[in-house]
Amino acid sequence: MEVIKEKGMQFGGWFKYNWINNLLFSTAIILLVMLILQTQALGFHYDSFGDWFAAWSRNLTNVLRNNAGIGIIALGMTFVIISGGIDLAVGSTLVAVGAAIMVLMDTGPGGLLGQMGITGFPAYALAVILGMGTGLVLGELTGFLITKGKIPPFIATLGTMQLFRSVTQHFMQGYNPAVPKGFLPLASFKFGNLMLMPIIYWLIIAVVMYIVATRTVFGRQVYAIGSNERTARLSGINVIRVKRRVYALMGFLVSIAAIIQVARIGSMDYANAGAGYELDAIAAVIVGGTSFAGGKGSMIGTVLGVMIIAVMNNLLNLWGVPPFLREAFKGAIVIAAVLMQRKEKEL
Amino acid sequence: MKLEMLNIVKSFGANDVLKDVNFSLEGGEVCALLGENGAGKSTLMNILGGVVLADSGRIIIDGQERHFNKPLDSLDAGIGFIHQDLNLIDDLAVYENMFINHELKKRNGLLDISTMCDRCEEIFERMDVKIDPKTMVRELDASYKQIVEIARALMMEAQIIIMDEPTTSLTEPEIERVFAMMENLKEQGVGMVFISHKLKEVVHICDRYTVLRDGDMVAEGMVKDVTVNDLAKFMVGHEVRTESLQRERSLGEEVLRGENMSFQRCFKDVSFSLRAGEVLGFTGLLGDGRSELFRTVFGCNTEYRGGIYLDGKKMRIKSPKHALELGIGYLPRNRKENGIIKDMNILENGTVVIWPRLVRRFLINRNLQREKFQANVDGLRIKLENDTDRIGSLSGGNQQKVVLAKWLSADPKVLILDNPTQGVDVGAKEDIYDIILDLADAGMAVVVLSSEAQEIIRVCDRALVMYHGEIRGEVSGDVMTEENIMRLATGGQVKQIGEAEHGSN
Repeated sequence: MEVIKEKGMQFGGWFKYNWINNLLFSTAIILLVMLILQTQALGFHYDSFGDWFAAWSRNLTNVLRNNAGIGIIALGMTFVIISGGIDLAVGSTLVAVGAAIMVLMDTGPGGLLGQMGITGFPAYALAVILGMGTGLVLGELTGFLITKGKIPPFIATLGTMQLFRSVTQHFMQGYNPAVPKGFLPLASFKFGNLMLMPIIYWLIIAVVMYIVATRTVFGRQVYAIGSNERTARLSGINVIRVKRRVYALMGFLVSIAAIIQVARIGSMDYANAGAGYELDAIAAVIVGGTSFAGGKGSMIGTVLGVMIIAVMNNLLNLWGVPPFLREAFKGAIVIAAVLMQRKEKEL
Repeated sequence: MKLEMLNIVKSFGANDVLKDVNFSLEGGEVCALLGENGAGKSTLMNILGGVVLADSGRIIIDGQERHFNKPLDSLDAGIGFIHQDLNLIDDLAVYENMFINHELKKRNGLLDISTMCDRCEEIFERMDVKIDPKTMVRELDASYKQIVEIARALMMEAQIIIMDEPTTSLTEPEIERVFAMMENLKEQGVGMVFISHKLKEVVHICDRYTVLRDGDMVAEGMVKDVTVNDLAKFMVGHEVRTESLQRERSLGEEVLRGENMSFQRCFKDVSFSLRAGEVLGFTGLLGDGRSELFRTVFGCNTEYRGGIYLDGKKMRIKSPKHALELGIGYLPRNRKENGIIKDMNILENGTVVIWPRLVRRFLINRNLQREKFQANVDGLRIKLENDTDRIGSLSGGNQQKVVLAKWLSADPKVLILDNPTQGVDVGAKEDIYDIILDLADAGMAVVVLSSEAQEIIRVCDRALVMYHGEIRGEVSGDVMTEENIMRLATGGQVKQIGEAEHGSN
């Protein structure tokens, strides 16, 4: 099937052309369809339009807020996958960073900053900065193993995935830090009755990442390396440095997700927090149209991909599909996305 | 067994690769198939091997016409094709490779390893070589891998064996070993086709020769009646356009010098010097080490011995990035693998090396990027509609010009061009030659690596000819002829002007 772009095309032709040739377009259409279904599933049995709208927006912001962490991680994962790699350790990094900030801020006797007499806002700021630093260092370590150690990304991060979580669990056993109340508004500040902070962080980071990906030397070099590493190296790109930065950036973004999660929930389950995040993030990136072979993909696609999976989950919930079955739909949509990408390639 | 190929015609698109070619081979003889790159040798043998289909013509074996639609048909008819890049699997044992796809099984369905090993040993004995069938192929050296391939062909009861440049990756003693085995097979009545550029080897091992040039059969006969030089002349022909395009220009200071550079088996003790405004050619046969040498100059390999001097200063070039910063540009061979980034557009491909220089306020400045690229688009006469189109939408010649534009945008002092006209049509080829000479006129030092002697003669001031990783000789002026280049490249000597036709060798 071949559709040629031509002037004076009817809507049907225009739609078909974009559906086949423009991956972002088809992804956005799928999201739109899901939003319509979701609206429909939510029902219209409200007293007034105001009531309905309040319920509708609350539902949607809940969905987005619950997925903001994954959304931020998926943005970093997009770069990792575009560069031709993979990072399985994001969930474990999240736990490690979360543990680090909680130990720093703990209001109990074990709190590191508290012991040094730093409390209140300075303590929060310091915890956030050190938490981001931890994420960066862990990401840098992954990058080091992959570039200098020449370990395939899948293996290297499979290793660090086990390592980070297990070490965190060991040191945190029997220790229950309490997060100070003053820290929580970082994520749970309310606009009216809507909790929007995580969504705002997500969108700001998405905009920044979009610009980094499309307009900076680093961003373009990531695409170049993913598309053809040999040419990239022969074109004077420092492949090793760029790759290390990709994983460091990944660690940094995970640390932001960790900070949001700690501020939102006020605690962390070291055994289970972040478990499965790596697969959720990868699924979102793939649904968003990024090629697993590297070199192709976009941040906008990833944002749409996260939203599609999130809205679909909500939709299945509203429809009353049993929770165990919902995972099957997630799997199906990933496979469908890859089949769609192939259709595009063959044309 | 007698093989005849009659009136073989084959074209790829508008390109006539074989025009009415005849070829024959008797059992128990070795026939050399000679010709320059692109003469049609590989296509002819691929037709015999069932890899490609001829447009017309007949293949007759022992008086019977045969049709080969796929490689297996050819194998069934007793023809074994040993490709230049060997088809063995390194991580399997010798016997497993020998029986791949024809594995012997015991009644219970498991592999019958002992019988397979016995059969291998029988074949090896017949060939008079000693190889343990249980050795991993990875552990064999290149000549034994070649021998295992031949053994596999014999086991399939091949009566004719095609060998496509079997000696290019072998050392002298390894070549001896393969030749000894070939002599042995000859006595057993096996016919062999020997494709090679190394004319000395041809004279040594072959009985007959057939020479192709531009898809025509131009000569055939008995090897004992000719010399290496005769063969070189047949291959090159005389009517080809080879006049030099060189222009008068004054050369500047020395810019780049290599001193006694060596690296493993790739190149040995190579020294050269290049001045501003000079076009220096490096030529030789496949695997002569020139590409490896200049990849080293470009910083891809840091483990060489010897010295690289830039503007008289000794340099240790650490990486391509470092080379770029020092003012060296390198257009690699194999554009698709090394030259272009297929997922990026034309503009980005044409500026990738200078992205860091285009940054204004943290971002790549699009206007500046366009401005830099556009200057080269005009200068190189690149034909394109929209610079945001995919690089793949351009013709081969224009793609190559974009890769060239990429390097020119960095404004290098030294530009290394490896096979600059590979996969480029004739018109673009002449354009690229013009560009090379314009660059030299402007004072750039240019190195052209090419296996096409004509190309070297057309654009270079002088050329160094390599043979097995060493510089075999230098040619310039009147001595720079295709015949002389071919002689040096095959390990012979230069014929001086006025020397008698059969003087040397």
